[in-house]
Amino acid sequence: MVLGKLIFQNLQKFGFPYPIDKSVCTSWAKDIPKGGETIIYTSCMYQTASLSDIFSKFIPYAEKLSSLSALAKLVKPSKEEIDRAYRILQNISLMLKRRGVQFGYLYESEPYSGAILLELGYLDEFAEYAKIVTDFFKQKGIKRIITVDPHTHNALLRYKEFTNFDVDVVSYFELLGNVKARMQGEIVVHDSCLYSRFLGKREVYRSLLNSSGVKLVEDELVTEKDTSYCCGGPIKPVNRELSEKIARLRVEQLKRLSENIVVVCPMCYANLSKYHKILDFAEVVE
Amino acid sequence: MSEWDIAVERTINNNVPRVHKILSQYSYIQDLAKELRKAKLEVLNNLQKYVEQTMESVKRMGGNAYYATNVYEAREIIAKIVGKNKIVVFGKSMVAYEMRLREYLKELGNEVWETDLGEFLIQLANEPPSHIIAPAIHMTRERVAKLLREKLGVEVSENATHEELVAIVRKFLREKFVNADVGITGANAIAADTGSIILVENEGNIRMSTVLPSVHIAVAGVEKIVPTFYHALLEATVQAAYAGLYPPTYINLTSGPSSTGDIEMKRVSPAHGPKEFHLVLLDNGRVKISQDKVLKEVLLCIRCGRCHLHCPVYRVLGVNWGVPPFTGPMGAMWSYIVYGDTKPATLCTHSGNCKEVCPMEINIPGVLEKIKWIANDKERNKT
Repeated sequence: MVLGKLIFQNLQKFGFPYPIDKSVCTSWAKDIPKGGETIIYTSCMYQTASLSDIFSKFIPYAEKLSSLSALAKLVKPSKEEIDRAYRILQNISLMLKRRGVQFGYLYESEPYSGAILLELGYLDEFAEYAKIVTDFFKQKGIKRIITVDPHTHNALLRYKEFTNFDVDVVSYFELLGNVKARMQGEIVVHDSCLYSRFLGKREVYRSLLNSSGVKLVEDELVTEKDTSYCCGGPIKPVNRELSEKIARLRVEQLKRLSENIVVVCPMCYANLSKYHKILDFAEVVE
Repeated sequence: MSEWDIAVERTINNNVPRVHKILSQYSYIQDLAKELRKAKLEVLNNLQKYVEQTMESVKRMGGNAYYATNVYEAREIIAKIVGKNKIVVFGKSMVAYEMRLREYLKELGNEVWETDLGEFLIQLANEPPSHIIAPAIHMTRERVAKLLREKLGVEVSENATHEELVAIVRKFLREKFVNADVGITGANAIAADTGSIILVENEGNIRMSTVLPSVHIAVAGVEKIVPTFYHALLEATVQAAYAGLYPPTYINLTSGPSSTGDIEMKRVSPAHGPKEFHLVLLDNGRVKISQDKVLKEVLLCIRCGRCHLHCPVYRVLGVNWGVPPFTGPMGAMWSYIVYGDTKPATLCTHSGNCKEVCPMEINIPGVLEKIKWIANDKERNKT
């Protein structure tokens, strides 16, 4: 079976591209109202980023995997990984609340965005899925979505090409105004390709960091808008070796500038953290 | 570090800051690039009209113009012009590589030499080109020294400088230029209104290939046509700047065979340059693509090679990404256009750097996304 179709089937069956225990996605949220016109939307990206590596190994056997839904209970992020992801989401939520932003959360009914279909070029499946999710948002009366990662943000904005999607999409860091660094000294930012070159948000998180109390180290060949490399994450389902080589290379480049590497995307974290300690934006600021 | 890692890192360190500097120092170039994009789109939207106009213009200037729908036709046309037992010098042409023209003419009994330094090195090594404007960037200086020693049988020290290596090739090729019967080049642009072709270079090999032999054949894809002579000059300017060598040392312009009007102002041909000029326009998938709203953007590519040096996938895979001569992000697009191969596109990690640096503002990730979709569609229909 074509991988896109399989992912699509999994989305219908498990609400995710691969079998997963959905409680992993929702357990981070404790005191957020259910539903509402404005929601925080995780698409379960932070919670499952560390699993992407394991599942990319299974892709050649994807067809068999889909029938092994029991696997969902077995394959979970490590406690350390999941605690970290939850801390990040909780800090994002707290930062928004402290700034008076009101929002709800869909808990177990939160759908996945469909980003993986889009990024692997399964445009027919993505279009079909986008329609389903758009209808769902409409039915829930959702008017505004606060995203926490670039892949989800990008996928939602692309819905418009395939369906009548008129929900306002905003990234959480656009609502922060200003932030205070939890650390001191120099950092190097590894940009998300999507935020930086597709969504025009590079300067938003950079200027937040710049005025937060840390110093950003920049280099013409490593951190400019046109030279900063990808983490290799998006190509992992297609070619693991290539993905890992890109990640290693990227870490080498960044390390030369600073030991403190900061990312703004859970997939970048997952791919780069195999080679160096990586910090998320929401771990660095408050 | 592998030889590729060393070589490509040196290339990036040398080239990327230089292009940044050129674009900030000569601020008009980015405006010219925008103007060129519009002009090229005008041609793509009216391709047949411009092909006809170009061919008429070439004939009006005393040249010969041909249209080939595929590489087989193009090779036959060229083989007829060249004949047998000739010395042929190549100026550097990706389309010639696309046609495997060098091997074809050799098989017919001709002595054929690449004269662009990078192309010459990969000809000696019998390897595919790794980059469109610097085909031998996968070779370190040390490797080049070894290659020249082995293939040309000359003495080359292990520590030979870049200058010494270039001098060895210069000496070897000088004799080939002088004795060549036919010069074959590509074209950076072709002016539809005058039938002129323009070629940008720094080595001087194209100048010699287009002037010393008595026959000059230019081969080019139909997408190289621009509306006017003015736009051809724009293309040369923009291509050179984004390739990182600005001003270019030479811009060669050819409008028909050489001629003189020095005796009683009567125009006669030939004079010192070639007595024959031939232009072979190649379709090979391009016309069909020009009708697709998303994919037609590929045909705007001016082959500056900048996207390669900003792409993480190319940085890792080099010549192994794409179907030579089409490597890198542009190569992932062109591999599909020319060879129908969708696989290179599936390796795009959509970093988007390519679209950021493309002088023609081609949405390369967007094009590759469509090719991925085509690949997935093919796969779906198989099952």
